[in-house]
Amino acid sequence: MAKILFINPVVREEDVPRHIPYGIALLAAIARDDGHQVQVYDANAWRKGFDVVRQVLAADQWDVVAIGGLTTTYNFIKEVCRLAGEHAKDSLLIAGGGFLTSMPREIMSWIPEIDLGVIGEAFVTFPDVLKKIDKGDLDWSKTLGVVHRNDKGNIIVNTERPNINNLDTIPWPAWEFFPLEDIYFKNSSSLFSEEAYYAKRRIDINGSYGCNLICKYCWHLGTTGDMVVRPDPAGNNDVAFTYGRNIRYHSPDYIIEMVKQLKAEFNIDYVNFLDENLMTMDVYSKRTWLKELCEKWIEAGLQPDCRRLGVPFDEVENNGVFWSGTSHASLHRPETLKMMYQAGCTHLVYGLESFDKKILKNLGKGSTPDRNETSVAVCMASGIIPIPNIIIGFPEESFGSVRATIKSLLKLGIHAKPHFATAYPGSEWYYRYKDSIAAQYDGNLEKYVLDLGDATKITATISHKFSCMDLLGLQEIVAQRDLRLLDIAEKHWGQSDETIVATATPQISHNIIQDKTKTPLQK
Amino acid sequence: MSDFLKGTYTVDKEIVDETAKATIAKDEFKKKALNSIGGSMVFVEREKYVWDGDEEGK
Repeated sequence: MAKILFINPVVREEDVPRHIPYGIALLAAIARDDGHQVQVYDANAWRKGFDVVRQVLAADQWDVVAIGGLTTTYNFIKEVCRLAGEHAKDSLLIAGGGFLTSMPREIMSWIPEIDLGVIGEAFVTFPDVLKKIDKGDLDWSKTLGVVHRNDKGNIIVNTERPNINNLDTIPWPAWEFFPLEDIYFKNSSSLFSEEAYYAKRRIDINGSYGCNLICKYCWHLGTTGDMVVRPDPAGNNDVAFTYGRNIRYHSPDYIIEMVKQLKAEFNIDYVNFLDENLMTMDVYSKRTWLKELCEKWIEAGLQPDCRRLGVPFDEVENNGVFWSGTSHASLHRPETLKMMYQAGCTHLVYGLESFDKKILKNLGKGSTPDRNETSVAVCMASGIIPIPNIIIGFPEESFGSVRATIKSLLKLGIHAKPHFATAYPGSEWYYRYKDSIAAQYDGNLEKYVLDLGDATKITATISHKFSCMDLLGLQEIVAQRDLRLLDIAEKHWGQSDETIVATATPQISHNIIQDKTKTPLQK
Repeated sequence: MSDFLKGTYTVDKEIVDETAKATIAKDEFKKKALNSIGGSMVFVEREKYVWDGDEEGK
């Protein structure tokens, strides 16, 4: 059986490691259950630098070195791949995850050391690849869901792999392969709610895949039915992202049994749901999924004592498990939120993004300024703390839209330093503004990808009106909620709209299909 | 035996973190200082300091 080294790349270096990489933990569990020899080096958790990576790569005769992560890990991944070419040159280097799936042709050309890339959902593709390796069969020409090079060195993107139908067939993540006690539990606390702040043993879990909204800044890692493979204008297969979805969720029983196991084995006190959006999933289930999940959470004895007794959380010793996740301003309902609070939900992240009508309409988020405003009070009335996220620098951003957002922030008592609108590879924004983005990086898209972070730093601007300089100032004005400064800035701007050269202009792209074409679903 | 690798078996080869403690302290200080930049809080990167004085001053 294959000997596999998984490497989890460093992400968000400015913060402590907080999240066990869910995808790698799942693939490690699948490989383990298939009988392979598995090792995990969690570089993000250890943060020990490249000398340790070199030693890890040379520590055994790996058949496979597997690496993957979000686009924001690209910098680290590129260097690890270079080192793998030196210190594990007899191993097959396999990449996967968001950084690769969003732009497989570019990544394979930018990182020549990668032998094989797994595109989109890897739950079937990766074990399939391992089986072929065990047989000594390295012909990838008929393997679904991969990118590889042919005999001439040309990059070949194979047909997409169907998504699996029943998520409950996936094993629980291999938590035991990650430094829980040394690293992750020490970083359990977060500042989103009092309960989250006092969390001592948090683990993240994922209950669902998919979100039927079509936010232009978002993409779904090619794992939610949103990805197909189609010929590009030159006739070469490439990925294309669509509005199609294969919405799937784990059964409440699967989730409850997993949390019970985590409580029994690791004595966790907090769970954060990584799901794209719990509320969109609840709507898809016709409002049954969260209800059943909350009921079973309580039946299983996972409800924190303070919620059972109806007292503040610090008045009793809580033996249950608090939890948090994501919500949506138009899709949440008071009765659902109340159930969630009862079961132990402490806070929900709301991507409100803006309070401007035109921006919200064009964004595809399915919300309005009024709903955004109301959502804060509706959520708070349940006892759950809303965590509203705000963005600045939309393509349509104007002084008026910024003013609308500041006014709403003042009205709702929200203090926020907005994210910058960032066109991450894979998103509709990215493909619509690809040329404009490249132009801001001397025509070199890889420089842009290397520069990407968590959108708290400005990278490429996609605002038609405002430059990076303007947006940096406007971000601070929004953070200060200072309408006086905004008025002065607008007055200074004067008639500039008549002469300004747009920083970004949209384009047509073969990588975006604006209909419900979707990844096939396994039969 | 280091704990850096976790998995289904024990890797024989020992992995040693040879990063000097001084480097760790230096990096940690730099990280915290950079996160505090503002007003009178400034940070000068010592390793990037290349100017060695005006020709005339020599």
